Amino acid sequence: MTALVIFGLLAALMITGMPISISLGLTVLIFLFTMTAVPLESVALKLFTGIEKFEIMAIPFFILAGNFLTHGGVARRMIAFATSMVGHWYGGLGLAAVLACALFAAVSGSSPATVVAIGSILIPAMVRSGFPKRFGAGVVASAGALGILIPPSIVMVMYAVATNASIGALFIAGIIPGLVLATMMGATTFYRAWKGNFPRQPKASWGARLEAFRDSMWGLFLIVVVIGGIYSGMFTPTEAAAMSAVYAFIVAVFVYKDLTFAEVPRVLLASANMSAMLLYIITNAVLFSFLLTHENIPLAIAEWMTSTGLGVIGFLLFVNVFLLLAGNFMEPSSIILISAPLLFPVAMKLGIDPIHFGVMITVNMEIGMLTPPVGLNLYVASGISRLGLTEMTIAVTPWLLTMLTFLMIVTYWPPLSLWLPRALGMIP
Amino acid sequence: MSKVLDHLEEWLIAFLMAAATTIIFVAVVHRYLSAHPIPYVQDFLLGINLGWAQELCIIMFVWMAKFGAAYGVRTGIHVGVDVLINRLEDRTRGKFVIFGLLAGATFTAIVGTLGARFIWENGMHYATFSALGLDTGDLPEGPTTPDLEWPTWIVYSAVPLGSYLMCFRFLQVAWQFVRTGELPHHDHAAVKGMEEEPKPGDINWFALDNDLHPRDVKHHTIVDLGREPKDKEDRP
Repeated sequence: MTALVIFGLLAALMITGMPISISLGLTVLIFLFTMTAVPLESVALKLFTGIEKFEIMAIPFFILAGNFLTHGGVARRMIAFATSMVGHWYGGLGLAAVLACALFAAVSGSSPATVVAIGSILIPAMVRSGFPKRFGAGVVASAGALGILIPPSIVMVMYAVATNASIGALFIAGIIPGLVLATMMGATTFYRAWKGNFPRQPKASWGARLEAFRDSMWGLFLIVVVIGGIYSGMFTPTEAAAMSAVYAFIVAVFVYKDLTFAEVPRVLLASANMSAMLLYIITNAVLFSFLLTHENIPLAIAEWMTSTGLGVIGFLLFVNVFLLLAGNFMEPSSIILISAPLLFPVAMKLGIDPIHFGVMITVNMEIGMLTPPVGLNLYVASGISRLGLTEMTIAVTPWLLTMLTFLMIVTYWPPLSLWLPRALGMIP
Repeated sequence: MSKVLDHLEEWLIAFLMAAATTIIFVAVVHRYLSAHPIPYVQDFLLGINLGWAQELCIIMFVWMAKFGAAYGVRTGIHVGVDVLINRLEDRTRGKFVIFGLLAGATFTAIVGTLGARFIWENGMHYATFSALGLDTGDLPEGPTTPDLEWPTWIVYSAVPLGSYLMCFRFLQVAWQFVRTGELPHHDHAAVKGMEEEPKPGDINWFALDNDLHPRDVKHHTIVDLGREPKDKEDRP
């Protein structure tokens, strides 16, 4: 009953179009003022302590690093390297786009950032070399989704914040699924290009490949800094994020020089703007989940769910459908922060591994970014390619179907995500 | 006056972002360098204690989050579920937009007041009275932060200050909307890019004109947008 009131109130407020953070906070205040005797002091305290966790601070650092990286140089060299490796196969630049997105995803924690970085260079290039615009925009928008599956990943940090899972283990768990998804997308691209007989690039010599690899070394080394640093225990995830922000700054300003010193304050401000918005959602989501816990709602839902006799298979199917629907209307961070406190206890009760559950949710969020009316990747790709939202939706359909297939594999075959972190001894 | 406030806000959050990054970077480098037995350097480094770096970073980001959220109201970056209201006709949507903005102002005003009361009772009261030389009686001195040992009420004053600023921003945006029918948004890249390809680093995916934000009721023509001055956030 209380659960219905709380969620009804939240839904009603959200649908009026006010910021999600405000609707979360207002729900809590209205409920506390009218229905309970919780001292408001505890609310005030939560406002302060809600984001006082060092793990959360990885988010602004990753955003800053990403904003330095999207300024051209790193992405351009990764694209050149990817093209020299796979450009001569069927799919040509399309296949190179998938590989370049996978590489960029390994240095950036956000999907739309990956689409921006790779797409703004590669979509025009693909159109120039004779690909249909739809194909180019479609492949980049879809492959850009790899950004949050291949570590680092802001969405995984959000999940870790909401559930207290280990960020390091989640990152490592994302590697193999990320590579598998990239391969599957590559196969789709290959098949479609082969059927459509799209242009291919001339085969690059090994010398040229080595040259391209050396050229992109600076960007690729960041993968070692982040993944290697976290895995070896040299850095905590937050420290790794800060290191990558400084490294990305040095590469962008001093090495590749695609950013002048005078432009740096603008990048800082834009990153602060974006991260403050996300941190503000987190603050209010913490408040909201405090209310839920106070009213014992997660536990009640967990008991109710298990009493319906819904097994692991049924529950995971339910979660997938629920998250895919939510992905149509909201952006990933808000979905995770609102739904994880509810779904996580049920998953634990059913004996689902928290890391596997996290990877599965991340894949759901990837798909959510590709489905209208709200899909960040679609928006960004449509901004770059000037295709309408409807056309973009049609453009991504083949890869979207690939991802849905992949989602089924991730959901019902946990070893895909759990094998690597287990082999490395990061989870029992 | 308002211009000064705008600039101050922008400088503050950009500075906090840079400073927090630098501090963590220095702390990590310090930790690894001081582990190597380099003559003199090691002794010098071991003499510096950077144990407070993490705490300072958190404080800086909390401040950045609170003031950045206020700045975000001005730039229209806060995301919502606007699928429904963006399909309504202008007049009705306008009412929803006003409702949303006023709800934001109400929420931030309440939170600001709660926060102000909290810090007053947790040290500010004592600090003010003892600074004025008044009798502090049995007022609590208030806790301090673990590493830096700063009074928490100063650290936490980000909440009332940031929230009241945010409230002011909501009212400002609402007032502007009532007057001109315009909402802040910076999706000019899409229009500017008609002739040129957009510069990748300048696309802010949380600030595009889309169903994460309410559409305003003034119908922009392309010429209209083209003539608008450069975005505010271009000059920190």
